[in-house]
Amino acid sequence: MSKIGVFVCHCGENISATVDCAKVAETASKYDGVAFSVDYKYMCSDPGQSLIKSAIAEKGLTGVVVAACSPRMHEPTFRKACAEAGLNPYMCEMANLREHCSWVHEKGEATTEKATDLVRILVEKVKYNQSLNEIRVPVTKTALVIGGGIAGIQASLDIANTGHKVILIEKDPSIGGHMSQLSETFPTLDCSQCILTPRMVEVAQHPNITLYTYAELESLEGFIGNFKAKIRRKSKSLDEKLCTGCGLCTTKCPTKKIPSEFNEGLGNRPAIYVPFPQAVPNKPVIDRIHCTYYTKGKCRICEKVCPTQAIRFDQEDQIVEVEVGALVIATGFNIKQTDFFPEYGYGKYPDVITGLQFERLASASGPTLGEIRRPSDGKIPEKIVFLACAGSRDPAKGIPYCSKICCMYIAKHAMLYQHKVHSGKSYVFYMDIRAGGKMYEEFVRRAIEDDGVNYIRGRVSKIYEKNGKLIVNGADTLLGAMPIEIEADMVVLATAGIANDGAEELAQKLHISYDPYRFFAEAHPKLKPVETNTAGIFLAGACQAPRDIPESVSMASGAAVKVACLFSQDELTREPIIAVVNRQAPPAYSSCVGCFLCVSACPYQAIEKEEIRNRNGELIKSIAKVNPGLCQGCGTCVAFCRTKSIDIQGYTHEQMYTEVLALLNEY
Amino acid sequence: MDDLRKRAKELLETSAVKVVIGYEQGTANKTRALFVEKAEDADCLIFDSRCVQNLATYVTKREVKDKGKMAITATLPVMRSIIQLASEFQVNDNNLLVLGITPESKLVEFKNLSEVETFVHQYQIEIDAKNKEMLDKIAKMTQAERWKFWIDELSPCFKCYACRAACPMCYCHRCTVDFNQPQWIPVPSHELGNLEWHIMRAIHLTGRCIDCDACYNACPLAIPINLLTKRMLEDVKINFGSYQPSIKADHLMSTYKPDDKENFIQ
Repeated sequence: MSKIGVFVCHCGENISATVDCAKVAETASKYDGVAFSVDYKYMCSDPGQSLIKSAIAEKGLTGVVVAACSPRMHEPTFRKACAEAGLNPYMCEMANLREHCSWVHEKGEATTEKATDLVRILVEKVKYNQSLNEIRVPVTKTALVIGGGIAGIQASLDIANTGHKVILIEKDPSIGGHMSQLSETFPTLDCSQCILTPRMVEVAQHPNITLYTYAELESLEGFIGNFKAKIRRKSKSLDEKLCTGCGLCTTKCPTKKIPSEFNEGLGNRPAIYVPFPQAVPNKPVIDRIHCTYYTKGKCRICEKVCPTQAIRFDQEDQIVEVEVGALVIATGFNIKQTDFFPEYGYGKYPDVITGLQFERLASASGPTLGEIRRPSDGKIPEKIVFLACAGSRDPAKGIPYCSKICCMYIAKHAMLYQHKVHSGKSYVFYMDIRAGGKMYEEFVRRAIEDDGVNYIRGRVSKIYEKNGKLIVNGADTLLGAMPIEIEADMVVLATAGIANDGAEELAQKLHISYDPYRFFAEAHPKLKPVETNTAGIFLAGACQAPRDIPESVSMASGAAVKVACLFSQDELTREPIIAVVNRQAPPAYSSCVGCFLCVSACPYQAIEKEEIRNRNGELIKSIAKVNPGLCQGCGTCVAFCRTKSIDIQGYTHEQMYTEVLALLNEY
Repeated sequence: MDDLRKRAKELLETSAVKVVIGYEQGTANKTRALFVEKAEDADCLIFDSRCVQNLATYVTKREVKDKGKMAITATLPVMRSIIQLASEFQVNDNNLLVLGITPESKLVEFKNLSEVETFVHQYQIEIDAKNKEMLDKIAKMTQAERWKFWIDELSPCFKCYACRAACPMCYCHRCTVDFNQPQWIPVPSHELGNLEWHIMRAIHLTGRCIDCDACYNACPLAIPINLLTKRMLEDVKINFGSYQPSIKADHLMSTYKPDDKENFIQ
């Protein structure tokens, strides 16, 4: 006979304001099998927990129902309290009276009635609960960092410096990411590459970091502490051991007119190329889509000129399999291109450029060697207009969010322009200036007050070309929406920051969730900003939302600490809420018929074949078997099994059925 | 079908197989399943247009399987069933030899199941005009009319489970309805209980049913339960392209692909 204790929490006023907690406790005391029932102001407090512990000891409780908040909040607290009192922690269940009842309903009898219903179904369920033990799994103390931008670099260095191994993969030929493209950085105007390249070199030289550039994640299996990742190392058509990085091939390559990704299309690169002079590793790759040999079958000039015979035309993609314990995702962001804006010329005006293109124009390593020259005719623009919120904060464009970094980099751009073109005039159209951050507001004021940038609050409705000028039609909303027309030589659009290409696909490979804009979702917006909902996978930088450099770096260090915490243990304990295939007495052995449809249904590859053999080793039957280390307890196999041979421990068919009946039957 | 008898005899005489599953003359001008274990009994084997029972239902039965390697007289639907069973690991080359009968009533013997698969794939599964018309008619009904139609059709069902016994895909030792701790699907044959059983059956057969109509042929009340599975077959075709049982391919209902249509979420 069950002896169940019911503990109803007021949660201050969170529950008791709309639910009559005393009445819930009193009603519960009359249910079959309930030996003890009480309400208390804060069940999670020390005295509240003592109440549970002493009731277990004094009444000899066999099961506990805590009617309080969401199990996501306090289930571990109450399970631990039960365990301390000698009860198996999995004999404790939580009825969610707060999120599921008091917060969503008004005060009244019906609300209290619903609360009693919630308690009753758990009382009935707990009668079928069985003692379960935690599962222990080992931890592979190697981290996989995806993305070699500043976030990925920082995370890799921090993890590596704690003494653990790191594998860093980057899809481009060099690490560095968007930060390597920037000219100067706000709010200090120090050179981006000058502060970034030492970190890039450190990554390459760190004994704990294995760097795979030109590589992408092919697949990921497993779970926290025990992931198996397949990495596709795209063929560089190069023997990296022989290549000395002399760069002769890149100068001799006849296919030279390929728009350079690093220069955002403002410059060209050859088919065999190093993206930029400080690239790490500083060794070229052949772009097979543009290379004459791969497209037309003739050329091989790079092979002929290479002094070390390092070119390998027949090299194939390599799949590397690695075992890792944790992942940091730092795949960064992208920006909308100018063709996204019909009102600003569909991207067909060459002198309407993106913020990232302006960075390249302003950069000493850029196509104009740091001189601000317009792409169409190379003239120095005398009038330049910057448009903030190009796409961002515009629900009509499907991007209602603020891209966050634009206000600051536009101030920086205008400032750099004024520093380089003393006679020039610069205008900034903005909606609001969002300069929250240390020294940020001061920086923007400097642009306006010291450098004389004209800030106009208003939006631009149209840009069109006329006599070699770009006519910018806007309005000044601080002057009663007075129409403004500027004849500009160049326009810079601070286009919206968006999720990187392939973010959705990667999220599906990793089994992590993402928001409607395809940015990866954190586990909790405030308290778990670097965790994902998949244990062991962490986020860093702008793959989660648009972020500036200091934020990306601190987030990366945060993620690195999470990884280090994980790696500080030799074993992990996991909840035993996993699927189990039943076993029966011979001759059936199990009701499983071995159709193995569950194998393909399982999203975690946790189901394998088990062969039941007799004493002579002859096969009697093949049945499904769930690997307890891999199973995440999602229940897909349970729903799939036609013979109902699989149960989730703690959520068995019998427990679920009992819960339903408890709701339907009159008491 | 002299070649069939001759081949069966040879197979049994040489002990290449232990049992040949085929048809024999039954009572009331009907045919029934025959399990030939002795070469001399092979003369009882017949094959004609009356032989529509899906014999594949026997190859998963322990009583038959335990005899040793089986040979089976297999018409096109039977071969399709066998391929589906092979994909679910219920039969394999070691325990089954297929004596195929083509739609032109010619005997073909296959070396292995993958040859059977190739043969089967020459023919698309098509729903005949009469049934298609009925499906369209049901699809055009209002929700209330459709509900009434199925309640009327299914309420006479007294759950003899002949449909289950006749279906080669219903090989589970413990069917969902036999699972009684807890009893999710009610056993008594009342209207809703009948509905639950037949819907459950149709769902379990989705992506597996090869449209042999054995369930309908077995039903003593001639309830058109095959319309349910046919409808699922149509849905499978619409959502996943033409359907063919396949030994190695992923199962339709248990696999997810990023480009799967999600038009069921409306």
